[in-house]
Formats: sequence, C-alpha cells, structure tokens
Amino acid sequence: MSLINVKDIRKVYRVDEEKIVALGRINLRIEQGEICCILGTSGSGKSTLLNIMAGLEKPTKGSVFIAGKNVTQFTEKQWALFRQRNIGFVFQSYNLMPTQTAIENVAMPLMFKGINKRTRTKEAVHMLKAVGLGSRMMHRPTQMSGGQQQRVGIARAFVAKPKIVFADEPTGNLDSKTSRGVMEIMVRMAKIHHETLIIVTHDVNIAKYADRIINLHDGSIISDEPNQSIVSLDEEKKEPASAAVNE
Amino acid sequence: MKWKDMIGMSLSNLFKRKVRTLLTVAGVIIGTCAIVVMVSFGIGINESMNTMMEGMGDLTIVQINNYNQTPESTPLDDDMIAKIEAIPHVVAVTPVYTLDWNAVTINSGKYAYQGQIYGVNMKSLADFGYTVQEGSLPGDDFEENMILFGWSALYNFYNTKKTSNNMIFAQPDATGTIPDPYVDPMKDELELVINEMQGNLDEGTSTTTASKKQKPIELKCIGVMGDDWSRNPPPGYAVFMDVSFAKKLQEQYNKINDVDTTNTKSSYDNVSVKAESVEYVAEVEEAIQALGFADTYSMESIRKPLEQQMSTIQMILGGLGAISLLVAALGITNTMIMSIYERTREIGVMKVLGCVVGNIRTMFLVEAGTIGFMGGILGLAFSYGISFAINSFAAAGNSISLGGIVGVGVTGSNVSIIPVWLAFGALVFATMIGLISGFYPANRAVKISALTAIKQE
Repeated sequence: MSLINVKDIRKVYRVDEEKIVALGRINLRIEQGEICCILGTSGSGKSTLLNIMAGLEKPTKGSVFIAGKNVTQFTEKQWALFRQRNIGFVFQSYNLMPTQTAIENVAMPLMFKGINKRTRTKEAVHMLKAVGLGSRMMHRPTQMSGGQQQRVGIARAFVAKPKIVFADEPTGNLDSKTSRGVMEIMVRMAKIHHETLIIVTHDVNIAKYADRIINLHDGSIISDEPNQSIVSLDEEKKEPASAAVNE
Repeated sequence: MKWKDMIGMSLSNLFKRKVRTLLTVAGVIIGTCAIVVMVSFGIGINESMNTMMEGMGDLTIVQINNYNQTPESTPLDDDMIAKIEAIPHVVAVTPVYTLDWNAVTINSGKYAYQGQIYGVNMKSLADFGYTVQEGSLPGDDFEENMILFGWSALYNFYNTKKTSNNMIFAQPDATGTIPDPYVDPMKDELELVINEMQGNLDEGTSTTTASKKQKPIELKCIGVMGDDWSRNPPPGYAVFMDVSFAKKLQEQYNKINDVDTTNTKSSYDNVSVKAESVEYVAEVEEAIQALGFADTYSMESIRKPLEQQMSTIQMILGGLGAISLLVAALGITNTMIMSIYERTREIGVMKVLGCVVGNIRTMFLVEAGTIGFMGGILGLAFSYGISFAINSFAAAGNSISLGGIVGVGVTGSNVSIIPVWLAFGALVFATMIGLISGFYPANRAVKISALTAIKQE
C-alpha cells in the first residue's frame, strides 16, 4: 500500500463567474521513503496539489489517502492531530516565529504535541546540531541569514519524526549556493529516517535532488519518472554534527 | 498542548508588546478603580446611615404596643411572651411593666423616691443594649430584690423632713460642677415600702403613707444607668426591677388599698423583642403580627425605605463605574483584534505545524483574561490607595459633602469602605470582562486559514 494515494483529485476555483481549473483529475501514488519533486511553472497547479495533500485546502472532487486514511474527510481537529504525528512542513519564507529563539522555534511542533519542555529542548538542540546550527541555537530569526533560517525551518519540520515532509519552494528565497546546502541537508535528513519528502518547485536544479520527478502543467501530470541525473550527496561535505542524527 | 505552554505563550505574547499591553491594562485599571471606589462610597454611605440609625435606637428591637386591650383581643401575658421567645431568631424578650405611680416608695434614711418604676426582664438587659455607668448589670447571681437606678432618677430623692427646698437638681452650680444627689444607691441602704392611700382621691384629699400592714423590703442596688433616650423604656429617669417582683408589689398594693382588679388587664402594655440581627427584624416582626399583635414598631420601618434609597444610589454609583469598565472591555477587544491582524500568518503557521484550534482559542482567551486580571489586581491596589486617601482626608476634618449629594449626614465613619467581597468580586469581574472581550477575537483567530502560512506577501 502506498503511503500517499491521490485519487481523482480535481480542484476548481471560482473567480466571479469564471471557473478556473487548477487541477484536473490527478492520480498519484507516493511510497514511504521517496524523495519526490513536483516540478512545474507558476500556475501549473503544483502548489494546489501540495496544499490538498497537506490538508490546507479541500479538493473539489476526489480524495487523498495517507497511510490508508481518507484525509479529505478529516475535520480541522483531526488534521491538527494528524499533522502533529505525521507531517512536517518547510516553507518558502521560512515562517519562523520572529520573537522566539532557534531552539524554541524548532521545539514548537513538539510543544503542540504536549511534550514537556526539557524533552523537547533536548530534541531541538539535537536537530539544530544536525543541521549545522549548533552555535546559533539561542539566536532569533532576525539575527540569522536566510540559509540559516531555512535550516532552522528544516530542523523544525523533521523534529517530530513525521512520515511526510512537505517543502513548498524551500529555496525560493535563497541564492543558488545556499540552496544547494539547504537541499542537501533536507534530502539527507529524509533519507536517514526513511521519511517521504515532497518538494514543490519550479527550479529544475532543485529537482535534481529527488528520486522521482513529477512534471505538472496546467493542472495535469505530463510526466512522472525516476530521476536519471540524481545528485549524489557529497560524502566529504557531510558535517560532523550530522553523525548524531544516525543515533 | 500543555496548559503551562499555552499560558507561557500567551504571557510572552503580552510581554512582547509591552506598551500596548500596558495601555490596555490601564483601561481596565481605571474601570476597576471606578467601580470599586464608587461602590465603596455606596457602602460607606450605607454604613454611616446604619451608625446614624443606631444612634436613634437599636435596629434589632421590635416593640409591641398593646394599649388598646379589649376582652376579645389576644392577651399579651407571660404565656404569650414564652411564645414570642420561641420565634426563630429571637434573642430576648422583655415586658415593660409599669408599677402604679405612688404604689411604692423607696426610702434611704430621710430621703424618699416616688418615681417611675419599671418591671422588666432584668437578665435580658444586656441583650437589649443597656449599660451601667457604675456597678454592673444583673448576672447569674441575680436576686429578686436587686434593682438598677437611673442616674437622673437619683435626683428625684427628696428630703422628707423638709417641706421646701428639699431636692437637689442635676444642674451645674456656680463653679460648673454638677452636685451629687442625696443618695448614693450603691452605698446607702435602700428600703421599699408599699403605700396606703387615705382620703378620697376624687375630692382631692388623698394622701399616701407607708402601709403598716407590710414590712419594708430591703433593696439592693447593683448598678446605676446613664441617660439613654434611644432605649425603651429609657433608663435614666427610672428604677428597673424584675417584672415578677414588680407585679408582686402591685398585688400587695392592690390588696392593701382594696383596689378592684376584676376588670384589670393581665396583659402587658408594652413588650420589647430583640432579634438576632438586622436582617431578621422583618421576619420576627411578621411572626409577632401573626400572633395577633398588629401594633408593632421597629427601626425597620425607617431603615427599609432608607436602605432602598441607598441601594439605588449604590446602583447609580456602580453603574457609573461599570461604564468605564465597559470602555476598557472595548479596549481589550480592540487590542486583541489588532494583535490577530499582526499575527495572522503566525496563527496560520501554528495550524500547519499541528496546533489544535482549541489551543489557539485558549491562548487568546488567556491573553485577554490576563489583561483583565492584571487590570483588576492593579485597579484594586489603586482603589485601596484612593479609598485610604479619601478616608484620611475626611478624617482630618475636611468635610467631604457626600451627605450633601445623597441627603444623609455622613459623620464619624469612613466615607469609602472596601469589604472583602467587593475586592474579590471586582477581581473576578475584571477577569470575566477580559475573557468576554477576548471571546470574539479568539474565535476570529481560530477561523484563520492555515493557507495564510503558505501565501507570499
């Protein structure tokens, strides 16, 4: 059984009298541990697909099954509890809490889960070290560069050991060099725990990191194939702190 | 999510916007102050009104008047008194039995007293608020021949050896001192004799002399009472003795003088009933009236309308305060809505990260409630300060003419009183106001879509 099963998803937006078809009958299966890239230009419907899979939007038709559960029928509360346990999220604009330190930001999903402060701080420290921010744990987002902020974002997405991590244009606000670093960290973290990573991007260079590339155009999948020119993670660049992730 | 974490996040959110939080709290402080100080004025006025009324007479005493006794009416006798004593919340009952004028004479050597003598329930005098300025009130060792003298009554002793200039008056002499009366009842021996009437009363030839048929009775005065016109019977100009003793003396007088008693009442004219406290007076009075005595009187008839007037004043004062707290409530709502606008994205992100909506609502309510609570605490502190300042100012002899506003003389007691219930109530009320004000913003926060986290500015 696939981890994610997208069945006959259709999404139509209504703008005044006009109907805009964002997604037309999408069928998709994603397996546990896959690093999957949804590639498409602006307006291709890639963000809508991600939003529907993550439960941020409801489809007009069709259903999404995650681990056998029909999540399209979830109530808001069910979604919240489901996200606590199964889903991590990396945002384009990082979305860190501006008034909180890196540790507090990373620990936040654990706090929502009701984990006590001592345990979640320990976990957060562990994650921050894993993303190479061991020296900036008490810094606030405003005291960090974009790349550093996004690494905090990644640590936050993976801290609760979710089954799936969604990344929405994770490098959209970063330069190409920083982007590479961020992508490598993200992919490595997903691989370590055999977690499913779904990256939405318009950037072909980012897509190279994925095992599988799904090409979306005008709300339809035009190609879905394994990545031929996969970028292998450079073993020499592996940061010493990342060893801690291996437990 | 743990309560501790929700409260922690709420507080840190408040702390991060210090100025705005302080201004909003200031609104609640002013509102709480307004209510507490206004209501404390109301209570102060009420209290001074009660003090004033206590000066007019004991608030907890019900008088039963029974002057218009007919053979058909219910007798107000000892059996009835026992019934009245059995009414719930009755502390003490005393009949007021007036010994016939001239029935007896109290002698002390050559001096004689022929004045007012009341028969009362001597042991209940303390309950009725009587005090002595010398000696003591009857205690457990009370004996029948023990009496209390009114201070002014002592000046009614006259010198029997003289026909003129035979009295001392309780008026200051040339040196400004009030002369002592002839008799010091606490030291001098007192003797009571039953009088016998000779001659014809109608012809104006009657004289009274001590009867030889009855031996003089030795009296023991155990105390001297001062003047106090707020009590019935007033103690100053009379002698108090036990009612059973007084009735016995009256019987002996009747027997000696062949007074026909077949038609005389066995009822008391007047009975005083002491209720447990002010709040039971109305209840006790009703119960007495139900026993068949319509003519009752208590301070309740004055106190009640006054109290109603006072509560109207209190409501007006409290209402004035409530308006400012209402404005403060709007301030809280406004602040919370502003804060939601600022934090829309933050709330969206929290939802995406798995925060349950109920927790978001709770956090906003805690924030609003905290504003109310802090405002309440500080407002209360300020209120105590203001109250203290006003009271000291008033005590220093400055006339704060609250009495002028409400038509009641305010003297002697505090102008502003903050009882515990008011302090506690104000705190709860301020917190409630905070929570209620936060309710709408909290629900708005809950409705923010998780999608806002994704959207790019």
